[in-house]
Amino acid sequence: MPQLTYLEAIRQGIWEEMERDPTVFCLGEDIGIYGGAFKVTDGFIDRFGPERVIDTPIAESAIVGAAFGASLTGMRPVVEFQFMDFIGCAFNQIVNMVAKAHYRWGAPAPLVIRGPSGGNVHGGPFHSQNPEMWFVHAPGLKVVCPASAYDAKGLIKAAIRDNNPVIFFEHKYLYRRTKEEVPAEDYIVPLGKARIAREGRDLSIITYAAMVHTALEAAETLSREGIDLEIVDLRTLAPLDREAIVATLRKTGKVIILHEHARTGGLAGEIAAIINEDAFNHLDGPIVRIAAQDSPVPFSPPQEEYFLPQVSDVLREARRLRAY
Amino acid sequence: MDDAEPQMAKKQKERLAAKSAQAPGTNQRTYTIPDHRLEKPSITIRQVRKAGKVSYEVTGDLSATVPPIRESRYLSKKQCIEIYRWMLLNRKMETALENLYKQGKVVGGVYFGLGQEACSCASAYALHKDEWMGPLIRNQGSTLVRGFSPRDIMMQYMAKAGSPTRGRDASSHFGDIKDRNVVAPISTLGDLLPVLAGVALGARLQGRNIAVMTYIGDGGQSTGVTYEGLNFAAVQDLGLVLFVENNLWAYSTPADMQFRVKDLAERAISYGIPGVIVDGTDACQVYDAAHEACERARRGQGPTLIEAKMMRMKGHAIHDAADYVPKPLFEYWRKRDPIARFENFLLNVKKWLTPTENRELIAGVDQQLEADRDFAVASPMPEPESAAGGVYCEHGCHEIKPKYAIPKARKGSVASPGGTEAAVHLK
Ligand SMILES: Cc1ncc(C[n+]2csc(CCOP(=O)(O)OP(=O)(O)O)c2C)c(N)n1
Ligand SMILES: [Mg+2]
Repeated sequence: MPQLTYLEAIRQGIWEEMERDPTVFCLGEDIGIYGGAFKVTDGFIDRFGPERVIDTPIAESAIVGAAFGASLTGMRPVVEFQFMDFIGCAFNQIVNMVAKAHYRWGAPAPLVIRGPSGGNVHGGPFHSQNPEMWFVHAPGLKVVCPASAYDAKGLIKAAIRDNNPVIFFEHKYLYRRTKEEVPAEDYIVPLGKARIAREGRDLSIITYAAMVHTALEAAETLSREGIDLEIVDLRTLAPLDREAIVATLRKTGKVIILHEHARTGGLAGEIAAIINEDAFNHLDGPIVRIAAQDSPVPFSPPQEEYFLPQVSDVLREARRLRAY
Repeated sequence: MDDAEPQMAKKQKERLAAKSAQAPGTNQRTYTIPDHRLEKPSITIRQVRKAGKVSYEVTGDLSATVPPIRESRYLSKKQCIEIYRWMLLNRKMETALENLYKQGKVVGGVYFGLGQEACSCASAYALHKDEWMGPLIRNQGSTLVRGFSPRDIMMQYMAKAGSPTRGRDASSHFGDIKDRNVVAPISTLGDLLPVLAGVALGARLQGRNIAVMTYIGDGGQSTGVTYEGLNFAAVQDLGLVLFVENNLWAYSTPADMQFRVKDLAERAISYGIPGVIVDGTDACQVYDAAHEACERARRGQGPTLIEAKMMRMKGHAIHDAADYVPKPLFEYWRKRDPIARFENFLLNVKKWLTPTENRELIAGVDQQLEADRDFAVASPMPEPESAAGGVYCEHGCHEIKPKYAIPKARKGSVASPGGTEAAVHLK
């Protein structure tokens, strides 16, 4: 099996979908000759032509609106955002036009909005954000956040085939830093299903995207101390895999929820509520959350490091919870 | 009429009357977009597919000779030399930044305004000190003219504790509401327009018509908020000077794929405001258009759209080699370097600078930059903990007060800024 980076895996996934389905097409800024700001669609315009790889004006709201319009005619548009931070410019089209369409008037919106998100690359307040939760709170959307190359390919393919609007957050820190064997065959990873990134007995960490790797790193250190972490990679934030959350808790009784976006109103609060509703009896300690500070993402490296959850935070909280 | 409201209504009526008096008596609509350029290159860039590869192709005459600088109707010798110095400082500071980047001292990327120094510097030069400006990423020269120093910008790029945002943001993403009246931009393009319009609105409510200036690119003007902001300013007669820098490229996308009008200045017609075209590599043309637009704004006559044409002479940012740009375009525009043209004008046409004076001026700029670079390099990184706090304005960190004058309240009213203290009800 070939080794692919996270970025190459996404590229291959979209490419394969365009090869197998003529209704799939891409639109976005600088995705054609330039191949996208991060080169995800490199080579696409030569293969599929400017008709299916469309360089648009800088008009996010129009891009999303037009993608929805095309989807009404049975097309499957894949929209690229140069940075997911700019998704605010299309917010109304996404949450009011697209997300509500099926509920209101029975119109499915089989489109994907994808692009880079996440920090730890010193991008500053407008090139580092994790705006997932804005959309988790908008019923009608699916929200996907892969952590590995294997999943990234399977999930983007599933997202393109899904009959619902999917917001696909690609963590830019992982683009070229994670690499693994990715099957060349046609496979999908279903939306809405979490995976166990590491099996363990003592304590669960529920997380996703780049923080999976932070948790894995912490797990190595902790295993030498005799603490055996289980790591649940959610993969999809909406809809959440409630069963996987309950299952891991049933196994370990102790849980840390780890995410890169701000603490207040963050995903951890929602997961804590799910645990309270579905698995309260299995709890054997307080639900711990580790999250980013409630502030914009600062630019300067020492400040960004302070802002983001670190391996050391996981170590500290895991030791504390283990001893509880 | 003695209270404020009917007076406003009266003014509004006068404005409308003045407008209809200007309208031609027939229903034949005629619009003119003054074009001050001394050459009018007609260049198009298209996607073409050849042998399975898609690339950009230029059509148009790229052989024309460089026109002279159009003499300014307003600028004195001293002012011309000042603008020239700002342009040099702008360019040389960016060269210094490029070197700092190569030495690994910059965090993230670097953005350049190479070829656009006349646009940034000569436009911002038209503003008064107590007026306002909102720069974009390439308008580092404008922030210099507004009173920031090269070390401020260098420290922004190096993420230093002493940067204007204390490490919290990068590049030209900084501002100052106290002394320099600069609105810190955000990345998303177009969002500054309504904000600057609002600054003019606030000033007018305090009895002052001021000019406010902001920038947008051939790419950024495609955003919806550009329309909203300019239309808002037009309807409210706010003194927004929108400086459109049509530099042919938006990242890798040519201007021909952003809009279908021939000149972006034509957009002014649809807002019902004046539009004008200038050569963006001619500092005198840029200044004159900006000055006239600012004067109009100060008379309370509303916004102006200025379109400046030139080319972005580097990639989008330092990581981008701009391989997609057809080479002949670079050759064409390199001959129209705004600094070389202005230098030639000052030295050889006007003879306002002797070669010796020019050398001294350049040496002064170099010295200033060296001192600023050394200062910025030696300055410390922020402490990690400095990431905390400051999300809210609390504990009296700012006093909010009218910048220009206390807004007029109705006669007999006892209102004062901030109002009177209210009782606090906790249940
Ligand atoms: C709303 C929005 N979408 C996308 C971007 C990403 N982006 C930054 S600059 C740029 C190109 C801008 O081109 P233009 O407006 O012509 O300005 P120039 O770079 O030529 O100065 C793009 C696409 C952005 N900043 N804002
Ligand atoms: Mg441009």
